[in-house]
Amino acid sequence: MEPAKGVTMSSELICNEPPGEDRSREFDSERQIFTPPIDIFETEDGLVLLADLPGVTGETLELQIQDNKLTLFGRVKSLAPGDAPIVHREYEIGDYLRSFILSDDVDHKRITANFNHGVLKIVLPKAPRTAPRKIEVTTD
Amino acid sequence: MTVFRWGQHWHPFHDLEREVEGLLKRVNASIHGLRFGRQFPAVNLYELKDEFLLTAELPGITPDCLEITIAGGILTLKGERKVPEDCEVDRFRRRERYCGSWQRSLNLPEKIQEEKLAAEFNNGILRIHLPRAEEIKPRRIPVIEGKD
Repeated sequence: MEPAKGVTMSSELICNEPPGEDRSREFDSERQIFTPPIDIFETEDGLVLLADLPGVTGETLELQIQDNKLTLFGRVKSLAPGDAPIVHREYEIGDYLRSFILSDDVDHKRITANFNHGVLKIVLPKAPRTAPRKIEVTTD
Repeated sequence: MTVFRWGQHWHPFHDLEREVEGLLKRVNASIHGLRFGRQFPAVNLYELKDEFLLTAELPGITPDCLEITIAGGILTLKGERKVPEDCEVDRFRRRERYCGSWQRSLNLPEKIQEEKLAAEFNNGILRIHLPRAEEIKPRRIPVIEGKD
């Protein structure tokens, strides 16, 4: 993991917004908030983002885009009875939150997402390049 | 921050503890929140009344590419998570998700009715119910005096 790359992973289309201290306060402060692991890869038409959100359902997943910020928030319901004693623990139950800054090269209107088996897939198409336009120069 | 409250026991450090706890949680969200470098999949084991419940985080895995076996008190989970389709390796901009084949073996804490094991899979979380074996009655072992 290269920490320097983590903050601005690509200046072209998308970059990671570092989690700020005030972010977690917007949500229930009693619950743990995790940053889900993601993959981003290029395709012919743009970028695809995959995020692991185990335990999140279609109803508890919120995906929001405001200005150029894409935010995903997934709420997780505990699957074990709350008071059951735990014998062995490798993961904590908490919610997922992560934000990304999109560049203007992403066609915001054509962003699509689907969610299957705990994996969110967001397709970020590139905005079509505008054809060069000749500007007429007039003389007085 | 109030330190003293009427009609309650005096817990001078209670509020401080809560503050520190909240602070640590926020640190966790920004640093350890990225759950890197751990075994895949992460599992939790709960002790219920008549059974143990094992939960595993397996996002992106479908039941058909998952194998669960149990033998001699050892539960083994095995499977593979493939590289996302329509993607060549050199086109990754960022890779944080686990990829490839994986296997985990877990020692179960008690005797389990292995034939009654049941598993379900929902939203990337696997739940395995491990019913406890009937309690084995203690058997008295007679000791006889040896002839020497």
